[in-house]
Amino acid sequence: MEPQAKRKKEMDGFDVECWNILPVLSDEQSQDTELLSAYAAPIIEKKQTSRLMKELSLVYPLPGLHHIKRVRASNDKSSSHPLEVIVCLVRDMQEATNGKGVALADLLGSQSFDFSGLGEPFLVKIPATPPLTRPQFEKARKHWPTSFHEDKLITSALRGQLFTAAQKAKILEYMTVAVQAAKSGQEMGMNTVGAVIVDPESEQIVAVSHDCKNSSHPLHHAVMVCIDLVAYGQGGGAYNYDKYPACQFSSQESLRNSFKAVSAKESSQPYICTGYDLYVTREPCVMCAMALVHSRINRVFYGTAFADGALGTKYKIHCEKDLNHRFEVFKGVMLNTCEALCKK
Amino acid sequence: MQGENDSGQTDFLQPSDSEIHAWMSKAFDMASDALENGEVPVGCLMVYNNEIIGKGRNEVNETKNATRHAEMVALDQVLDWCHCREKDPKVVCGQTVLYVTVEPCIMCAAALRLLHIPFVVYGCRNERFGGCGSVLDVSSDDLPHTGTSFKCISGYRAEEAVEMLKTFYKQENPNAPKPKVRKDSSSPPGGDVVIQIKPQDEAKETIAPLS
Repeated sequence: MEPQAKRKKEMDGFDVECWNILPVLSDEQSQDTELLSAYAAPIIEKKQTSRLMKELSLVYPLPGLHHIKRVRASNDKSSSHPLEVIVCLVRDMQEATNGKGVALADLLGSQSFDFSGLGEPFLVKIPATPPLTRPQFEKARKHWPTSFHEDKLITSALRGQLFTAAQKAKILEYMTVAVQAAKSGQEMGMNTVGAVIVDPESEQIVAVSHDCKNSSHPLHHAVMVCIDLVAYGQGGGAYNYDKYPACQFSSQESLRNSFKAVSAKESSQPYICTGYDLYVTREPCVMCAMALVHSRINRVFYGTAFADGALGTKYKIHCEKDLNHRFEVFKGVMLNTCEALCKK
Repeated sequence: MQGENDSGQTDFLQPSDSEIHAWMSKAFDMASDALENGEVPVGCLMVYNNEIIGKGRNEVNETKNATRHAEMVALDQVLDWCHCREKDPKVVCGQTVLYVTVEPCIMCAAALRLLHIPFVVYGCRNERFGGCGSVLDVSSDDLPHTGTSFKCISGYRAEEAVEMLKTFYKQENPNAPKPKVRKDSSSPPGGDVVIQIKPQDEAKETIAPLS
């Protein structure tokens, strides 16, 4: 990714609605981290720190909590003890403790533990799982320090800084085509949803579609039509859309010709939607979202959410661990325009 | 088209064991036929008023469209059947039962909801894509804008259905791109051979027009 500061000037004056492109992350990445109750104790004699850490981790090893830093600097800087250490989890205690009036002897007494240098315990909350994103890390470390392996791309995506101005202009261009298709569909009495499939490598539009549902074909959602139009371009396809002039596809041959300048020899056979991006005005339903998994779509950009949507609202099919294909999803592209389409 | 003698019947929601046996036998015959022809061994029938009004098998390869699963093909036949007889698809689908050898995938389960199919009888679970409980439960989840939920009976000749799938998955998919070597151990074993496409030069089998 390019440094963002350089781009800042170019960003000014751009259509504001384009800048709210946000990633749709998995629940693990977007939910608040679960917290566990633990007993911590002040380290009164600093020189005992390494011995205490070693011995505590033998007695209470905290399995599955490798992200937790066992010792932290005391929150109160004027405190007489600069360091605090986690003794154990509340759930590790054999006898039920109600959290009040627990003494070191209760936690360590049966272990013949030398607790010289350690003060009386107090309750803390510690993050149960490692933070996956910067917002989760910021929240987690307010409770107790953790390690954090930052994914810089996710961080910049969450800040809305993943795409350069030139990339955003392209995103806007493709979504504008989808919006136009949606309007053409509406003129024919269809739901106002439009879709575009793009080959991001050649920057060519592969297929354009709109919702084509009617009584004889209730499953012709814009995304299903678009996937079938891609198939048409590859010499396949299952239906005929001649009735709908706004539904179009580029044949593989014409795509390859226009792409010649970029890669003369390496035009490998396309395989369904592998490597292609979808732009759709409204979040896909379950059927369409799973159709995109089967079609191996590369990325999905959508405008507005849908109450039964399957790429963020009801399900997150694009990051479902049990499925064999996962992809990135971004929402909020031309949000206002796309929202207005749904109200028509 | 309304008010025919079948209106108001709910018997189709409680098929007898012998009915299930008879329809599922046909579905299994289709699946083993598909396997012999190098196709995904899934057979499915749409039954309305004791009549097969749709049947299908995977047509992903012919159409180069990964959404052409057996159920989607069969649903198209049901819609055509309604269209030819000037029947309301919503009424017909609302009294149609799907018999299928493998649990419908997430996409097909959603399509069945969107067409208001009330009842599905299937053989084995579909651990990779299943939309009736295995991966997601599209069949019964609360999705007020996605048609109507449907009831399932599962487990009929399940082991046999699994064996057929295993036999098929052992074969290679000549159309799939060469899988990249993955370090990611969390991906399911064999996860790269899921979209199954038969060899290009296989003769196309057209599905005989239905009564």
